[in-house]
Amino acid sequence: MKKVVMPLVIVAVLALIPYIGVEYAGLDYLFGVIMPYTAALVLLAGMLWRMIDWLRRPVPFNITSTCGQEQSLDWIRQDRIESPSKPWHAAVRVLSEVLLFRSLFRNNKAELRKGPDLVYGSHKWLWLAGLVFHWSLLLIVVRHARFFLATLPAPVAWIEHADSFLDVTVPALYMTDAIVLAAVSYLVIRRLLDAKVRIISLQTDFFPLFLITAIVLAGISMRYLTKVDIMSVKALGTGLAEFSLDAPGEIGALFYVHLFLVCSLMIYFPFSKLVHMGGIFISPTRTMLNNSRAKRHVNPWNAPVKFRTYAEYEDEYREKMKKAGIPVEKE
Amino acid sequence: MKPSGVLMITGGIVLVMILAVSMFSPGGGAETADRAAVAERDSTACIASKEYMRSHHMKLLDQWRHDAVREGDRIHETPDGRTFEKSLNTCLSCHSQNRFFCVMCHQYANVEPTCWNCHLLPTETKE
Repeated sequence: MKKVVMPLVIVAVLALIPYIGVEYAGLDYLFGVIMPYTAALVLLAGMLWRMIDWLRRPVPFNITSTCGQEQSLDWIRQDRIESPSKPWHAAVRVLSEVLLFRSLFRNNKAELRKGPDLVYGSHKWLWLAGLVFHWSLLLIVVRHARFFLATLPAPVAWIEHADSFLDVTVPALYMTDAIVLAAVSYLVIRRLLDAKVRIISLQTDFFPLFLITAIVLAGISMRYLTKVDIMSVKALGTGLAEFSLDAPGEIGALFYVHLFLVCSLMIYFPFSKLVHMGGIFISPTRTMLNNSRAKRHVNPWNAPVKFRTYAEYEDEYREKMKKAGIPVEKE
Repeated sequence: MKPSGVLMITGGIVLVMILAVSMFSPGGGAETADRAAVAERDSTACIASKEYMRSHHMKLLDQWRHDAVREGDRIHETPDGRTFEKSLNTCLSCHSQNRFFCVMCHQYANVEPTCWNCHLLPTETKE
């Protein structure tokens, strides 16, 4: 229970800090200007550090994971994506993992039924909720470009139009807002209801989910319910985008709660499981080629072995061998 | 299928269609308010504070549209007792002094309200 309540308390405290800071201490500048820059810097430097660290780690074995026919004789059809032998095969595999969560699509679920029977079955809900969750988050982040750019690039405008095409409520409801809430609810409930998943879940699994939920709720509240002055928000956003240090105008405290939680997420990002965002692109089991028979993979930390061939041995002892009557290869 | 079965199904479909159509028939509808009673239009002060209008005007306009078009309630009374007609024209009677009043901020914030799908933008009307 503690592992669920603790993250909840932490998120609540994180939300209260900017609220109290702005409402009672007037720390607009700290939460509106200093925090975002700090968080962006930590995110950038942290991600670079993690990625460079990972890229520099030597890979001792060819550990590509395969589940298809590897490249073989010409008349045996190769499964290019499951068992890549060329870099572009692996690129397709990585991208299908990133964009479609291909390996999660194979997700199975084990269930103990009366009998007792242990039943395994295909379970696509996690894949669906995960995919929808990630895509919604991406679209939401892209959509926020309208707060940072003076003129909106056409693709961002298309995304906005598509996202709000239902045209219900004023301002128009973004579908991703509703979808991301539904998906994140599923992801939390899944961790709570299923005993097996509950046992392996940690505080660090619940915390990002709660944090993202809080960010989404604050954002939704600002757009549809409590409202804030968008002019000041836009002024602050464009200011941040061009590295200005101007003080923000009068914006509601709820905005700073939203912004501070986003900053917390950015700072938390490089030091948590959320780095999978970058790690997925360089994951060796996905990026390596299954060509261990065509090309030798040498463990980079192998110590150089000093060896001596038989030819060298014979060269040294040939005369003695001949005298002793031992056959030699070279006369 | 027996002829009687076909008859039954056709009859059922027709019945459902009649029922469905009758649900959408205009049943009285919203009454047109006595607009003359509204009359008063104080142009010295807006219906709410500047800060409130800045952040909430879309909510208010949406509520006005609902009240006027669906409920037939066309009179808005401010907390301090002034009355206004719930109409976009009430807003524009003052705010179209600056023809870019709406556009300025909406463009700045990259907002595309659906008001102007039907209503004329102040920038589109004649001087």
